[in-house]
Amino acid sequence: MQPSYLKVFLTFARNSLVRDMSFRANFIFTCISSMAWAGMNFGLFKVVYQFTNSIGRDSGWGENEFFIFLGTVWLINSLIQTFCMANMERFSEMIRMGSLDFALLKPIDTQFLISFPRMNWAQLPNGMLGILLIIVSLNALAAERGDNLYLSIWNVLAFVFFIACGLCVMYSVMITLASTSIWLGRNQQLYNFWFYITNFYRYPMEIYQSGTIGWTLWGTFTFVIPILVVSNVPARVLAQPLGTPWQRWEWGFASLAVIFAIVSLLVSRFVFRSALKSYRSASS
Amino acid sequence: MAIIEIENLKKSYRVYQKKEGILASLGGLFKREYREIHAVAGIDLQVEQGEFVAFLGPNGAGKTTTLKLLSGVINPSSGSAKVMGFTPWRRENAYRRKFALVMGQKNQLWWDLPANESFRLHQHIYGVDPTEFKRTQDEITELLNVQHLLGQPVRELSLGERMKMELIAALLHRPEVLFLDEPTIGLDVVAQHNIQQFLKHYQQERKITILLTSHYMKDVAALCKRVVIIADGLIQYDGSLEGIVDRFSSDKIITLQLAETESFDDFQNLDDVIEIEPPKVKFRVQRDDVPKLLSRILASRNVEDIIVEDPPLEDVIASAFSQVEQNRSDADSLHAEAVS
Repeated sequence: MQPSYLKVFLTFARNSLVRDMSFRANFIFTCISSMAWAGMNFGLFKVVYQFTNSIGRDSGWGENEFFIFLGTVWLINSLIQTFCMANMERFSEMIRMGSLDFALLKPIDTQFLISFPRMNWAQLPNGMLGILLIIVSLNALAAERGDNLYLSIWNVLAFVFFIACGLCVMYSVMITLASTSIWLGRNQQLYNFWFYITNFYRYPMEIYQSGTIGWTLWGTFTFVIPILVVSNVPARVLAQPLGTPWQRWEWGFASLAVIFAIVSLLVSRFVFRSALKSYRSASS
Repeated sequence: MAIIEIENLKKSYRVYQKKEGILASLGGLFKREYREIHAVAGIDLQVEQGEFVAFLGPNGAGKTTTLKLLSGVINPSSGSAKVMGFTPWRRENAYRRKFALVMGQKNQLWWDLPANESFRLHQHIYGVDPTEFKRTQDEITELLNVQHLLGQPVRELSLGERMKMELIAALLHRPEVLFLDEPTIGLDVVAQHNIQQFLKHYQQERKITILLTSHYMKDVAALCKRVVIIADGLIQYDGSLEGIVDRFSSDKIITLQLAETESFDDFQNLDDVIEIEPPKVKFRVQRDDVPKLLSRILASRNVEDIIVEDPPLEDVIASAFSQVEQNRSDADSLHAEAVS
C-alpha cells in the first residue's frame, strides 16, 4: 500500500498534458509566444556580436561559446517553467485560500505533492530550442577550433549532471520563496523574483568581474543566491571558453555547484516543513 | 476503546483587526491590533466505532475547526486527540491512509479533467491495488448513479454531481473514519436526499465511523442518532436528536380546531397565542401549563380537535444558538467594561 512516487509523478504529467491539450488554442499560443521570445533573444545577441568578438575583454566568450551558454539558460528556464513555476504560484494561492488542506490529508510527502501536480507543457519547446541551439553552436565551435573531438561523452554526462544540480538550486529558491506565503499570508512576488534572478543568471559570470558594483553582484549571485553557478557550470563544461581566469577555479566551481545543490535542497526542505507548522488553513 | 478521543482540545487564532479607511490601513502597516479568537475552546468528546455523529452549531461555532484538527490539517493550541490511536496533527501516513475528509465548500478534484482521472491519481497516491480500486469505484459510482458522468470534465458537472464525485474520491481508499463538512451545502432537495441515502447505506454496510457537520436538519434527522451541539467553541449538548427539545425548550405547541360557530376575536388578546387561522388557533405554552390552558378552553369553547406537540426542532436549535450568542455578547460587554 506504499504510494509509488514515480506513478504519481507520471500521472501528474499525463493529467497536465490532457488538460493542456483540451485548451488547444491556448497551448499553441503559449508555445508560439515563448518561442518567439527565444527567437528575439537570439536575434538580439546576433546583433551584439556584429559589433564585438567577445562579451567581456579576454573572457573567452566568443559568439559560439556564448550561444552554447544561451542554449543552456533556455534549457534550465524551460525545465523550471514546465515543472515548477505553475506549482509554486499555485502553492502560494493554496495557502491563502486554504486548499492546502487536501494536500495535507494525503499519505504521501506533502512537498512532493505540491511541487509537481501542474506541469506546463507549453514551456517545454523552448528547452528543445535550447538543445538545438547548443548542438548547432557546438558544431560551429568544433569547426572554428578545427577539433571535432574536443568534447567527450564525459562532458555530456557532466553537463546533464550539472544541469540537474542547477535545477535543484532553482527549485529550492522558488519553493523557499513560495513557502514564505504561509507567514506573509500572500506572496505575489514569485514571478517578479523569477524575472529578477533570471535577468542576472543569463550571462557568463565574467561580465560582473569588474568594478565595485560588478563584484558585489558577482559575490551575491555566486554565494548568497547561487544562480550564477547554476548557469555557468554546465555551460562551461560544454563551451569551455579558453584562456579565462575560470580555468584556475574550474574544480572549485564544479564542487560549489554540487554543494549548493545539496545545501539548497536541505534548506528548502527545512523552510517548507517549518512553514507547514504555521499553516492555519482558511475558513470553510 | 473509543475510536475518537478528544480531551480538552483548544485552538485559538490571532486575527488582525483591520480598521475602516485608507489612513487606518496605512497605520496598519506599522502597528497592528490583534484579537484572539477561541475557535475551539476546550472540547471533550468520545466517539465509538460505527457511530454516525452530527455536529450542529451556528456559523463560526468551531465545527469545521474541530474537523480540521481531527484531520491533522492544523495544529491545536493545547489539548489532545486520538483517532484510531493516532495523533492527527503528526500526519503519519499510516493514519492518513485510514480516514478521509470531504468539504462541501472546497473541491479537490481537477477542475478541467474528468473525475476518473482524479480517481486514478488517488489510486496511486494511496497505493490502492488496481483490481480493488476498480471494484470500489464501480460499486460506489453505481450506488450514486454517476457511471455515465465519469468521463465528463468536472467543471461541466452540476454542483450535486460534483459533490458525489468528491465523495467517491474520498472513499476510494476505503477509509475507516470519515469527516464530512457540510456535504450537502447548496444542493437541491433531490440531490440532498440521494447523498443522504447513499451515506446511510454505506455507513450501515461498512460500519465506518462518520462525523458530519450540516445546517440541514433533514441530513441530521435522516442519518445521525447522536447529535453534538457546538457553539462558541464549546460543546453545549451531546445526546439524541429528540433530547434537544427537552434540553433547550420547555414549551409545547397546542393547536386547537374550533367549531365553525366559535368566534376568534378574543384570542387575539392572549399572550400565548402564536397563530390564528380559523378554524385553527395555535398556542405556545410552558409544558406545566398545558393542562390548565386546555381545561380552561375546553370548559368555555366548542373544541373539535386538539394537537399537542413539541416545537419544531429547527426553532429549538435556533433559539438555543441565539441563547449562546446572547451569553457571549453579554460576557464580551462585561469584559469590555472591565477593561475600560
